[in-house]
Amino acid sequence: MALYKVKTFIGIFTIDDNKKVISFSPFPKDPILVASRLKDEVDEAPEEIENFLKENLLRYALEYKFVKNQAEFNQFLTEVNSEIAKQKIKEIVSRDVLIIHTNNAIEELDKSINIFIERLREWYSLHFPEMDKVIEDHKTFAKLIEKFGNRKDIDDKRLNQFKEKSMGIDFTQEDIETVKALATTIIKLYELRERFSNYLSKLLKEIAPNFSVIAGDVVAAKLIAKAGGLERLARMPSSTIQLLGAEKALFRFLKSKEKFKSPKFGLIYNHPLIKSAPKDKQGKIARLLSSKLSIAARIDYYSKEYKADKMKKELEERVKEVLVAKK
Amino acid sequence: MVKIEKTKFYGIFKVDGNLATVNLVPGEKVYGEELIKEKNVEYRYWDYWRSKPAAAIKNGLKILPLEKGMNILYLGIANGTTASHFSDIIGKEGLIYGVEISERPFRELLPLVEKRGNIVPILSNARKPEDYEDQILGKVDLVYEDVATEDQVEILIRNCEKFLKSEGFAIIAIKSQSIDVTRPPKEVYDECLQKLEKHFEILDKVKLDPYEKFHLFVVMKSKK
Ligand SMILES: C[S@@+](CC[C@H](N)C(=O)[O-])C[C@H]1O[C@@H](n2cnc3c(N)ncnc32)[C@H](O)[C@@H]1O
Repeated sequence: MALYKVKTFIGIFTIDDNKKVISFSPFPKDPILVASRLKDEVDEAPEEIENFLKENLLRYALEYKFVKNQAEFNQFLTEVNSEIAKQKIKEIVSRDVLIIHTNNAIEELDKSINIFIERLREWYSLHFPEMDKVIEDHKTFAKLIEKFGNRKDIDDKRLNQFKEKSMGIDFTQEDIETVKALATTIIKLYELRERFSNYLSKLLKEIAPNFSVIAGDVVAAKLIAKAGGLERLARMPSSTIQLLGAEKALFRFLKSKEKFKSPKFGLIYNHPLIKSAPKDKQGKIARLLSSKLSIAARIDYYSKEYKADKMKKELEERVKEVLVAKK
Repeated sequence: MVKIEKTKFYGIFKVDGNLATVNLVPGEKVYGEELIKEKNVEYRYWDYWRSKPAAAIKNGLKILPLEKGMNILYLGIANGTTASHFSDIIGKEGLIYGVEISERPFRELLPLVEKRGNIVPILSNARKPEDYEDQILGKVDLVYEDVATEDQVEILIRNCEKFLKSEGFAIIAIKSQSIDVTRPPKEVYDECLQKLEKHFEILDKVKLDPYEKFHLFVVMKSKK
């Protein structure tokens, strides 16, 4: 007669072929301990025996005085499973979440920087309106104000000619210091952005080495963030990757098929291979790109074996063929 | 004076005209709902803007198979808003196995289950019942599903085949928008009902407008 050992959340049963329990060694009544004991592998018993024990577990728990009543049984079951779940959460949360937070923080910084820059330009234009047109680069604009403050003190060959006859009003020392403080903050935000973006590149090399080489860091991070992680991306068909970030346009198209065109791409539009291609070839290139991206995401998720250089070359050759083809 | 009326459903009351259940853990709110004490019993308002069964009752549902001591498999339990009322109704002798795929709402569920002692939290994908079969002790009386995915009907059927008692109950909140946004809801509902009727007898169904748009709430009994 065969004997089986079956592990349950209240302890280990030894049971025979006829479903007769020979012995029972209870677990200590500590959910954390039980949760970890349940993880150890044991030999499998026939399903019928396991099911029998599961269905009669409450009865045995009462018989062996493991619990006083059903409510106590349920409470213990709840706590053990809660512990199992907590341990599982720790395992699930993977480092790709860092990519998502960093990417989103950069997007938020960009928005903030833009709002502040607009404010700075308007504000400082009261004092030196001519500078707004001449200095197009935002960061330079903020830096000049931070460095020189008053229009009269600016020393820059693009601006010197406008200083004397400027139409702007005079600013007091306090006016200047205040607007300078805004400029300083904007520069700090730029520095923060730079730091995040370096960190993001590092994360991508570690977590999505193939995907990020094919997509480029910026597009890679946005796609991972939009998909909700590398695992989800790895499970997506390439047609979904192609349209990630175009949900609104897709929805509009589906709702009124005539008025709008079906979108050809979402976030991947920002990839240089697509952006630089003529309009009538973009759709085809988007398909090539997203299918390579999908393969790369899978490699990164499952093995991380580095194949990106070869894949990138293949992709570029295919794109070249598309570009020279007559259509 | 608070006015308390029974409804035709076990464990569900009307307190000053609001749906309510009796709080299993007195003093504890789950999602900001109001608590009302009357003659030493604490009632918890059941918000029909936040919970689909309450909306279904509000819209005239006639059959809701919930009873003291029941075992329920709940697919898509999220943070437990609805499950907390089920937990009130079935009491300490009942059990809810709550499956949720996303760890974000699940984290909020954990403190709740430890206080209540009748909800077993399971962080798993309801598409893979094999992954959590070890955690479910025996068959259940009711499978409740609110996952809002394209394959939600198939998910329900698979789980019922594995875990539902013969002649047990099943409830599904069908979200037409998750199944196919391009087709009119009615068409989607009919197609789902057709699939469901192969396995279940449909006991009751109501739409959940305006509380939940594009939802059909269906109560069924297994034919097996
Ligand atoms: C509409 S919400 C449920 C709300 C909840 N039933 C309530 O009323 O309190 C849908 C939930 O189903 C979960 N879900 C979606 N797909 C799932 C799957 N395959 N397995 C388990 N849960 C899933 C989602 O993460 C989400 O939390």
